[in-house]
Amino acid sequence: MIKINNLYKNYGPKAAVKGISFSVQKGEIVGFLGPNGAGKSTTMNILTGYLSATDGTAEIAGYDVLDRAMEARKHVGYLPEQPPLYLDMTVNEYLNFVYDLKKAKGSRTKQLREICEKVGIADVRKRLIKNLSKGYKQRVGIASALVGDPEVLILDEPTVGLDPNQISEIRNLIRELGREKTIILSTHIIPEVMAVCERVVIINDGQIVADDKLSNLIDNASGNKLSVELDCPETEGKKLLSSVSGVKEVVCDRNKFIVTSDQQTDVRKKIFFAAAEKKIPILEIRKAEISLERIFADLTLKGDRA
Amino acid sequence: MKAVFKRELRSYFTSGIGLAYCSLFIFLANLSYQTTYVEQFSSNFVGIFGVILGNMSFLIPILTMRIWSEEKKQKTDQLLLTAPVTPMQLVMGKFMAAMTVYFISIILTFAYPIITYTYGVVEWRLIIGNYIAITCVAAAYIAICQFMSCLTESQIISAILSLATLLCFSMFHDIVGADIELLYKVASFISIELRYMNFLNGIFALSDIVYFISLAAFFLFINSRMIDKRRWS
Repeated sequence: MIKINNLYKNYGPKAAVKGISFSVQKGEIVGFLGPNGAGKSTTMNILTGYLSATDGTAEIAGYDVLDRAMEARKHVGYLPEQPPLYLDMTVNEYLNFVYDLKKAKGSRTKQLREICEKVGIADVRKRLIKNLSKGYKQRVGIASALVGDPEVLILDEPTVGLDPNQISEIRNLIRELGREKTIILSTHIIPEVMAVCERVVIINDGQIVADDKLSNLIDNASGNKLSVELDCPETEGKKLLSSVSGVKEVVCDRNKFIVTSDQQTDVRKKIFFAAAEKKIPILEIRKAEISLERIFADLTLKGDRA
Repeated sequence: MKAVFKRELRSYFTSGIGLAYCSLFIFLANLSYQTTYVEQFSSNFVGIFGVILGNMSFLIPILTMRIWSEEKKQKTDQLLLTAPVTPMQLVMGKFMAAMTVYFISIILTFAYPIITYTYGVVEWRLIIGNYIAITCVAAAYIAICQFMSCLTESQIISAILSLATLLCFSMFHDIVGADIELLYKVASFISIELRYMNFLNGIFALSDIVYFISLAAFFLFINSRMIDKRRWS
């Protein structure tokens, strides 16, 4: 549904996006993750046709976003970082305006009523947008992205400014929408990605640093790491673990050791026998679980450390 | 285009700018009509169009100052520019809405020929010609000011830019004077005020009408290009 190919965007001399490529299949919910200023919003703005790329192409539902902009835009619902609301209109007037603007088809009253019920703004439809709280404004923004029943939704930080209950409501809504629609969701809230997305694309400094299924990403990062707890002094334990063949690195974390091994070899048995030989009791040995936060930090801070 | 037109027109009257424009417009025109023609029992009130022309050059910048600048500031342009609507359609929707506010204000001046007709003689052809001409000037003014509004995020700067540009288009020849010949020629060629003299003198100059309309068309066109260009910045 979405295809991005070698996308570049320069703001004057500054390159914001440096050769991004990825594609999203129909019905996927992709989390677009990255620190502030990584190029998330720029990429989304290019996808929706608000900005144009310096180089490269982007396609939505088979239409190039530049050459066949009108067709492409009909298939996209976009919620920018700051919802584009006319504060002097009521929610009802605003949604009707968006309906006309997007040249939406189908029964107007029915569609707008359904959307309002879905995002939970049915009770504020007659109020002026400027008098609504931030959470409600955000929801009106989401509602406007849904008008016209687009196949692709591009949501730029959709849960910003919502209270915890609303956040879980909106996440449920996004999951529900994801059954029929293709969704790209940008955020830097990691639990949100865990809760909603099947796949993550992590972007840092204008480049993609990871693009995989969430479960794969976590497995790969933690697959060759073990957490071992030994009943012995730190130096002795470190010496023992380092001597096991296949172990690449041993890091002492309080009284536990994080052992990094080669990808292929399972060193658990070897560690057991080595410890038994030295008569050092193993209190615990398990696969270390790496959180997405950790993966994110590893991937996005690399450049800064160097 | 219709959606943008409807929203714009509505916002002129909910924000009060449209109302302020219309009331100020008619107040100043009435004042002039009352003092110059009613009190002097004159039925040749064509000079009122000259007054209206002068008033428009500072009233229209107020009417149009928020057209694009406010969209930019509130980031609502993101909605417009990502909707399946071409920049020209957006520009025309907004232009037509401003023209409608102008029409409302100019219709209020229909009272003058009616009042004069009740008590005297009205040169109908002259008056109708002037209504057509002033409408073409209004279209040019609105197109110019609407373009200026898309250059900035601030309504105030937009109004000042518009005002300065309209002054160039109306009074530049006065400022330049006849001394610098070439500049004066250019200034009088572009001068809307100078060209409008023809209509006040009872000449329906088609070339001037064409000039006003081309001016409007030109600025509407570069307005749409400008909006499109923003994507590339």
